[in-house]
Amino acid sequence: MNIRCARPSDLMNMQHCNLLCLPENYQMKYYFYHGLSWPQLSYVAEDEKGHIVGYVLAKMEEDGEDNRHGHITSLAVKRSHRRLGLAQKLMNQASLAMVECFQAKYVSLHVRKSNRAALNLYTNSLGFKILEIEPKYYADGEDAFSMMRDLSAFAAENKTDGDNLEIKSESAIVSQC
Amino acid sequence: MPPSNPLPPKENALFKRILRCYEHKQYKNGLKFAKQILSNPKFAEHGETLAMKGLTLNCLGRKEEAYDYVRRGLRNDLKSPVCWHVYGLLQRSDKKYDEAIKCYRNALKWEKENIQILRDLSLLQIQMRDLEGYKDTRYQLFMLRPTQRASWIGFAMSYHLLGDYEMANSILDAFRTNQMKGPYDYEHSELLLYQNMVLAESGQYERALQHLQKFQSQILDKLSIKETSGEYYLKLRRFKEAEAVYEDLLKRNPENLSKAEDIEAFFDVYKKEYPKAIAPRRLQLNEAHDPLVFEKLVDQYLRQGLHKGVPPLFVDLRTLYKDQSKADTIEKLILQYIENLKKHDRFSSDTEEDKSPASALLWAYYFAAQHFDHKKDTDRALQYIDAAIEHTPTLIELFIVKGKIYKHAGDPVEAYKLLEEAQAMDTADRYVNSKCARYMLRAGHLKRAEEMCAKFTREGVPATENLNEMQCMWFQTEAAAAYQRLQQWGEALKKAHEVDRHFSEIMEDQFDFHSYCMRKMTLRSYVGLLRLEDVLRSHPFYFRCARVAIQVYLRLYTHPLQDVPQTTEPDTG
Repeated sequence: MNIRCARPSDLMNMQHCNLLCLPENYQMKYYFYHGLSWPQLSYVAEDEKGHIVGYVLAKMEEDGEDNRHGHITSLAVKRSHRRLGLAQKLMNQASLAMVECFQAKYVSLHVRKSNRAALNLYTNSLGFKILEIEPKYYADGEDAFSMMRDLSAFAAENKTDGDNLEIKSESAIVSQC
Repeated sequence: MPPSNPLPPKENALFKRILRCYEHKQYKNGLKFAKQILSNPKFAEHGETLAMKGLTLNCLGRKEEAYDYVRRGLRNDLKSPVCWHVYGLLQRSDKKYDEAIKCYRNALKWEKENIQILRDLSLLQIQMRDLEGYKDTRYQLFMLRPTQRASWIGFAMSYHLLGDYEMANSILDAFRTNQMKGPYDYEHSELLLYQNMVLAESGQYERALQHLQKFQSQILDKLSIKETSGEYYLKLRRFKEAEAVYEDLLKRNPENLSKAEDIEAFFDVYKKEYPKAIAPRRLQLNEAHDPLVFEKLVDQYLRQGLHKGVPPLFVDLRTLYKDQSKADTIEKLILQYIENLKKHDRFSSDTEEDKSPASALLWAYYFAAQHFDHKKDTDRALQYIDAAIEHTPTLIELFIVKGKIYKHAGDPVEAYKLLEEAQAMDTADRYVNSKCARYMLRAGHLKRAEEMCAKFTREGVPATENLNEMQCMWFQTEAAAAYQRLQQWGEALKKAHEVDRHFSEIMEDQFDFHSYCMRKMTLRSYVGLLRLEDVLRSHPFYFRCARVAIQVYLRLYTHPLQDVPQTTEPDTG
């Protein structure tokens, strides 16, 4: 399993993975919009044959200089490839790029209230906090938790390291899982 | 521009208001003003007004009238750039790009320097990959608007796409020094990386590397710097420097080994530093050619996976099976584990070894089932998957694998029933749902498959409609093939054409990005998009559907349809 930044040629296969795994789907143009506006922010996990088994589709919310933050549009890992820690690794790579390329202060996302596995990943493994409940956020009427993760620790580390890209394994940025 | 058929001041003011209404999408008002001009018998046949009326009608969905008015307008004023431009816009909205290009060219005959028409023309040219034409148009735009950023970028890009890297690079260089004066923001950073891409594609890696080093501090995308410089070092056979770069890259993302295969020295170091990173340890298994070394490594890898309970363990190792001796080693080990785990909860017979969790045996059964399924030994595969289900009857993965074993053994009906069981155990998981629907399609149960999918599609619309809207091509490809097997030719063709339409839509999707990416400066990705679209229909989904459609059409040609009722779906038995 390999984790790398997504290229335009991955976007169709990300859509396919999304349609297999998640109830929220998007037309190709929306994937293009992500890949061509913020090419550094989306990542894929691929198997040995190069098939995409997981992805994170992410963007920047550019509402004002002081509120620059990333947003996770969609994150999925095929059930056949769970428990490899792929989701966490995908998220960390995307978050690092948000800080480096766009000076993001935090990253936000929405998650279904009933999705305990995802909620557990976000709170326990990735340090997201619940911000508020958004009633009836999803098309089927389910509520969402609106969550955010502070990325200032990333940013601080990034500055002190300067050109050195090294991320220490004990740092909060890329914790091995 | 002097209109070829001028209106008096009052009518001319009205005409300008039609244009403004069109720009602001106030189509109803636009029609009102058009009427005011045209109702005067003196101007009832005024070409440009008629054309604009047509264009406005088109925006209101009245296409036929639109064509009538635009053509009538053009006939009355063949020397009007406005009429030709409008005709072009109309054809463009109808996706008749070749026709639209001709219209724009005619418009430009009468008004050579109209920026708007030149821009519109350049978009169509790049969409149609008329690269020579694109270059000419971008050149004109550049000459007419040398201070605009997009003029430079489009000009440079037109040379890049034609393979004239030197020219593209010179333009970018001039632009960078003259036009880009700090602050060094994201767009600047993307521009530098685009220029670097141009240099690399010219094959001058040394120069590209120097360029990258020179501007390093102005580039925000640190990952790209590392990745591309690593690539250049490898191309230049400067392995020591490459190694240092890849070492950094692995620290940043220990799971990306796409390039590290070239550099073997890493493995031991990274196993120690990143004990939990999977990729380096996994890659090592590919590289181990000595049977004893392989056995030692894979033994560790398997034990760790079975101990932790990693469901994709077999999927992960499957590619090793190309090497028969590796497959044999894995089989030997997994059978030993099962033997020992059954007897005394340990992977080996060594009584000093720590006891394994009870689940280790389950995962070993699960692995063995997939292993023998891979070897096409259905009996043994079933024997192990049943042992696993007996051990833990509630694990969904087991039913999925059991279904797969039946599928591989040629029993699609039993296969989908097992997937149905798995699906019922976790109805909130769309992955299992999709897989179940796919198995139903393989068994020819289209209705059931649609009903299964409907659990995750929007309420109030038929599932197939929603799946089509979301471009769910796996479903449509499988359905096309299923209908073909059932000899329901019409339905098979319908699905194949739905997929074809998605591909046309995706080609169409490019259009907005031609100008968008120039504003955003995400030019590397933009070039990636163009290259993707160039070969879009080589995608497996398209290939499969095209094959169904071709086979069905050939069949219908040799066996024309008679008036007999179509075959129905098989008994659900």
